Amino acid sequence: MESRTFPGTVDSIDQIRHYIMEISQAAGLGKKPTYNLMLAADEIATNIILYGYQEANQEGDIDVIHSLTDTELTVIFEDTATPFDPLQRELPDEEDLTKPLEERSIGGLGIFLTVQGVDEFSYEYVENRNRNIFKMYVVSSE
Amino acid sequence: MSFSINSTVSENAEGAKVALITLTGELDSLSARLFQKEIEKVALESPKDLVLDMEQLSFMASAGLRVLIFSKQKIGPALSIYIVKPQEPIVDTLDKTGLLHSVTIVDKYPS
Repeated sequence: MESRTFPGTVDSIDQIRHYIMEISQAAGLGKKPTYNLMLAADEIATNIILYGYQEANQEGDIDVIHSLTDTELTVIFEDTATPFDPLQRELPDEEDLTKPLEERSIGGLGIFLTVQGVDEFSYEYVENRNRNIFKMYVVSSE
Repeated sequence: MSFSINSTVSENAEGAKVALITLTGELDSLSARLFQKEIEKVALESPKDLVLDMEQLSFMASAGLRVLIFSKQKIGPALSIYIVKPQEPIVDTLDKTGLLHSVTIVDKYPS
């Protein structure tokens, strides 16, 4: 298990994204799963930084922890912002997704892409920390 | 951050206004703010076609999708959106979120 800490500021958003790309490539993920994990991680990191910390006037870090087994790559984001479960957010349903652009509402797309893009996504709140957990199966069926 | 954007508004052969925006690099929630400003700028000209050159765009987060939705809502439902040579993962994102059928993917504009 390896961990790296990023300050919870906007400058970290693209740094975290690039770090996730390095981790994914080192784990041997293909191009598409690498992109999807990067996108998922970017959406969650953005939420933590912009809403969990910045908008709430809180300071804190994001710890990016990862581990690799024969079958899966697990990436965990830990932060100390107010408890927030992204899965509680209402996801767009089939009807929303087929609406024309001028009638579309703007919310929920980020978490939708997160859930869609990774093999498993979960959230827990443990010891005063938000934990967003992403799993990618290493032997992909691509 | 590796993102750049520029725009021009011109008239096409039929005399209709066309806004061309070229996006380069990675479009995340921060660069999406610049994208939105650019849309607000070209919206003043009430273009009929919005052409987004994405050939050199390697990443697009949901914030970029929100600006696409915003552009239609800002400029009006009659606006046609063309995306020039988007990279595969970006097409995939547009597809998953149901935005693909609201835009036209082209190899060049005008075709």
